[in-house]
Amino acid sequence: MRAVWAFARMTVRSLLRRRTVWGILIVVLLGLIAIGHVPSFNVQTEGRFVLEFGLFGLEIGALLMALGLAVNLYPRDRESGTILPLVAVPISRGQYLMGRFLGSALVQIVALLVGCVGLMVILILNDLSIPSTLLPGTLLLLVEGLFLLAVVFFFSFWTSPPLNVPLTLALFVLAQMSVREFVGLFPQAPSLMRLLRLLLPHMDVFHVKDPIAHGESVPLLYFLLACLYGLAYTSFMLSVALAVFRERDL
Amino acid sequence: MSGSCIEVVDLQKHYPTRMGLRRIRAVEGISFSLRNGDILGFLGPNGAGKTTTIKCILGLLRPTSGSVRLWGEPPAAAKVRQRIGFVPENPTYESCFTPLEFLRTFSEMRGLDQGSDFMLGLLGRVGLSGWETTRIDRFSKGMRQRLSLALALQSQPDVLVLDEPTGGLDPLARKEFRDIILEESRRGAAVFLSSHLLSEVEAICDRAVILSQGRKVSEGSMEELLRKKSPYTIRFSLPGSTPVEKRLEGGESELQKEIDSIRRRDGTILAVERTGRSLEEVFLEVTGEER
Amino acid sequence: MRLPLATVLCVAILSLAASGCGKRIDYDVGEVAPPEHLSGPDEHPHHQHDQHGAESAEQMTGARGHVHTPGVRNHGTMWFFNQPWAARFIWSKILRDSAILVGLAILLLLLSRHVHSRRWS
Repeated sequence: MRAVWAFARMTVRSLLRRRTVWGILIVVLLGLIAIGHVPSFNVQTEGRFVLEFGLFGLEIGALLMALGLAVNLYPRDRESGTILPLVAVPISRGQYLMGRFLGSALVQIVALLVGCVGLMVILILNDLSIPSTLLPGTLLLLVEGLFLLAVVFFFSFWTSPPLNVPLTLALFVLAQMSVREFVGLFPQAPSLMRLLRLLLPHMDVFHVKDPIAHGESVPLLYFLLACLYGLAYTSFMLSVALAVFRERDL
Repeated sequence: MSGSCIEVVDLQKHYPTRMGLRRIRAVEGISFSLRNGDILGFLGPNGAGKTTTIKCILGLLRPTSGSVRLWGEPPAAAKVRQRIGFVPENPTYESCFTPLEFLRTFSEMRGLDQGSDFMLGLLGRVGLSGWETTRIDRFSKGMRQRLSLALALQSQPDVLVLDEPTGGLDPLARKEFRDIILEESRRGAAVFLSSHLLSEVEAICDRAVILSQGRKVSEGSMEELLRKKSPYTIRFSLPGSTPVEKRLEGGESELQKEIDSIRRRDGTILAVERTGRSLEEVFLEVTGEER
Repeated sequence: MRLPLATVLCVAILSLAASGCGKRIDYDVGEVAPPEHLSGPDEHPHHQHDQHGAESAEQMTGARGHVHTPGVRNHGTMWFFNQPWAARFIWSKILRDSAILVGLAILLLLLSRHVHSRRWS
């Protein structure tokens, strides 16, 4: 574990030097500021608008951050040869994957927390109340971000970055769909579509923007269950990624 | 010390081409071993399969067939990795670190507890004194090679695997590298040295393996290699003529024929010498034959 | 490369499919929602959601705008309540799938380590 943390710290330092990461964070914060300035239809819906679109912005930010952080990590390591002295001697392939993942995850978590604080500041500046479900909701967004990061890592071990991005985006969109919506994409083969959908992650589990924005109470148990599901899927994706990586020639 | 630390048996590595229709045979059934404490030179022209073999030894490539064992274990085993130091051909490292930070991180990754004094000493040993806190992105290729050697020596390894370690170095630095390699060998470490610099290999290696087009074309101790097929020079005089010197490239059989011929003509053999050859001549000959 | 991937895919397909392939045991809340979710009392009986297209612009944007108080279930918001957070009856499925996924992850780790050490030596 010490080796993984040492490598994760190394990853954080090298990621913080990348302009892409800062660029995505700035875009998300600018987006949140813009949401705070868009005039709403009326006073009653203003809070909903800011929360709904703010959380949506954070979710998209998590997706972009996952792509920006991880899509190039392994391909760049491999192309530049940075990976050779690492994997040849001090760390195993599993430690490499976990170190890179943890490092990226730390950067992503901090970025999303900054975004969440930004959203709170906008709510306060607009004299709107901060719902009690916002913090657990942000925690769920963090877990969703970790899951997306694991997906990007998984794709990066067997595709090129130009292919990784559309594959991750496609998974992100398709995994939001309910079974019925997914079957509706190709209704001629409902059984096949249903099976395909069941193999994809159920990212609709992370959908708590609407109840948070509408002031609905979401039980803490649900947040815990959804976090558990997200973390379980993340560990599953990472283990598949490692299975692929272990068989790769470097 | 006795026994082998690296044992390569009938190693083959084939790569599929981009479309997967053909296979490139990078290494074709090579076998050799590295004994504890030996310095083994690993030679071959570009594309001979040297780096591919090294990657198989380090567990970075999966052999198509054959086996690689380090102290009887597969290459990727954790306890094996702890005993190896590796200097890659063109070392590239995360450029936002300083050498000292890098040594600290690698020390943690290896599970070692080394103080700053040890690390500063190590950097001094490889000629990076005064550069300890300079970021690596300001380093020349030669300085990166030095850092790479420091990282390889950090764990006081039992085997040093060096892939063209002196490629980007000036003659003085090459001499320093050679001295360090010899020091490590005296300490008891085995050294696996892949190099294009034949004079370097000739100067420091106990044994050498020569590859060409993925096949092993020669192997032996340095003495055996240099004497193998080396030409004879025979000086003789025939009745009524001045002494003659003749160079015979065909080995002992040709020498025997020549002696018989001189005797038949009542000549006198004045001297028979075996001419020493350089490793470069041996290398060009064996790799040329293969081509 | 092919064998582990094929193994991974087979194990994943069988496990995930076996856990939710049967009718009405998946995450499609709309399909499995109990009747009270699918046909609850409409709190705005004066118009139907699917009549929006026919509603006048004044009705949608004017003084009688489509505003609901927070937390009140409105007509046409089936999608809102047909999300996993609102459907307690699928929470056990979330827990079950989490356990399956963790089990699969551990199985894959062990399997890939075994295959790796066997094939690379």
